[in-house]
Amino acid sequence: MAYLLQRLLTEAAARQPQRPAVASDGCLLTYQELDRLSNKVARALLRLDVAPGDRVGILAPKSAAAVVGLYGALKAGACYVPLDPKAPAGRLSHILRDSGAAVIVADAARTSQAATLAGAVPRPPGVVVVGVPGRPEREEAAGVPAQGAATVPWTSVAGESSEPLAGERAIETDLAYILYTSGSTGTPKGVMISHRNSLTFVDWAAAAAGLGEQDRVCSPAPLHFDLSVFDIFATCRTAACLTVLPEGAATFPVSIARWLEAERVSVWYSVPSVLTLLACYGSLQQLDLSGLRTVIFAGEVFPPKHLARLMAELPHPRYLNWYGPTETNVCTAFEVPAGWADAEPAPIGKACANTEVFAVTSEGRRVSRPGEEGELYVRGPSLMRGYWGQPAKTSEVLVRDPFRAEYGELVYRTGDLVTLEPEGNYAYLGRRDSMVKIRGYRIELGEVEATLYRHPAIREAAVLPVPDELLGNRLRAVITADGVGNLTREDVLDHCRQWLPGYMVPDIVEFRETLPRTSTGKVDRAGLAQEQHELEPAGDGRRDNR
Amino acid sequence: METVINDYISREFVPDAALLPLANDTSLLDSGILDSLSLLRLVVFLEERFGITMGDADLLPDNFASVNAICAYLRAREPGKEAARG
Repeated sequence: MAYLLQRLLTEAAARQPQRPAVASDGCLLTYQELDRLSNKVARALLRLDVAPGDRVGILAPKSAAAVVGLYGALKAGACYVPLDPKAPAGRLSHILRDSGAAVIVADAARTSQAATLAGAVPRPPGVVVVGVPGRPEREEAAGVPAQGAATVPWTSVAGESSEPLAGERAIETDLAYILYTSGSTGTPKGVMISHRNSLTFVDWAAAAAGLGEQDRVCSPAPLHFDLSVFDIFATCRTAACLTVLPEGAATFPVSIARWLEAERVSVWYSVPSVLTLLACYGSLQQLDLSGLRTVIFAGEVFPPKHLARLMAELPHPRYLNWYGPTETNVCTAFEVPAGWADAEPAPIGKACANTEVFAVTSEGRRVSRPGEEGELYVRGPSLMRGYWGQPAKTSEVLVRDPFRAEYGELVYRTGDLVTLEPEGNYAYLGRRDSMVKIRGYRIELGEVEATLYRHPAIREAAVLPVPDELLGNRLRAVITADGVGNLTREDVLDHCRQWLPGYMVPDIVEFRETLPRTSTGKVDRAGLAQEQHELEPAGDGRRDNR
Repeated sequence: METVINDYISREFVPDAALLPLANDTSLLDSGILDSLSLLRLVVFLEERFGITMGDADLLPDNFASVNAICAYLRAREPGKEAARG
């Protein structure tokens, strides 16, 4: 049984060398090819003195090349740090500096972006270009020079030996990856996941989804989103095929649906909002999606009427609702029974294998009876090791078990409020703090506010979620500024786009003379939210009529 | 019509000022200006601005390839067709 993520690959390659491992943009890699190519990347990284425990950035969209790169990093004993190529440079350079990445592995098309990013960091990481045979090396052919960073071109990497490295360079408690997520104090924080943390999820998930080697698995989640752990590693564990949704197809629901049909995808894992789009706009009835046998969703609440519609249009697959913050991998699961037509959202269910979940009431009692509400806590080997370089923040959420302090084991406080249902399932109620989700992405409102405050003309800012059926939420920024009238909505958006990924940029910008205050002098968020409610009373009835 | 749509897309979706000014024949798909999120917001905008309802058969790459393509699609929707669509 594998105890390191890269062993999933070496074992699959030994068992099923000729089976397809990754199908991406017309390129197909077998398990043997993926194993050998990642050995080359690992050797190239060692040549740059990458040591066990070093961080290696991966700058690429999900693709065959990216998978080669991240397995190469793991085989070198490093932990990988996904860098979203679409994120603003300011955010990426923060992540590079914060993680102290030794090397950036970039695909050929992002060689110059990687070199520019590397050059902006005080101690520039090297750049290793990763590719797959037969792919045009566009950037290299164009002779893009590396600025301020040593760049190892793919031709050099491809010239390395494909033989495996001697011995493993990590143990199971070492970090496998760091996923950066929104931080309430204004900068993203890195969730540290060890091999054991990840494999606890991967082993459970492969069994729960019933994965087999005939499966074709797809998740549109990018590498920096923890949903991608499933399609990258659980797929590999069973020697199934990871199929990558092309970027061009991801924009249009009809294109996604047609691609699912053409690729005969059998297992799908995404946030509910993508599935809502497929249900509402995918023309699903005109397609043969009989190959799709399991649909898994996670990351946010699936609006019940859209789930019911999807299940009515596509009645044959199993529908699984998985729940878990990035810090816990997935910790609870619920299989939605066929014909689900409940007016309430599907519950998040019961604990996964090797995991315990419990809820604590506001009085500090353990929730034991149906109908009681409390904050969800999680215990087990899937919990993160902590936030990278932030022990104080870590100790706020990884705490002693309030009921069994004698064990000394730390449990994770999710910040999510839940209630216990009569059948023993937990149901999600909301957040204890000001984190919101947009299409499954976590957004700390404080991070958006901190970004707004960085603008020299902005005096005060409050950011509020506006519920939206398709997106989960939209963001509304209420601002007071020096010299009102000079600052425009476009100025505010341009400023935000320099620092924040697109899903964190507010949709609605309002300028005020002052912000309303409560009697204690705090910004009156409830009052501001109430105004919004009065402006847009009945949600979005327009889509109800479809 | 081109100006209205070009202005809206330029203001709301263009991620990088280097892509401005936006030409009416610039590909909105290859340039990364339209993704699944911005597509939906654009659909809501078009529905409200032009008083139409768009269904799944309308959300096709051909109809959103560029500002010109969006305008061609809108012009092709005759009033009679609107009524039939309900």
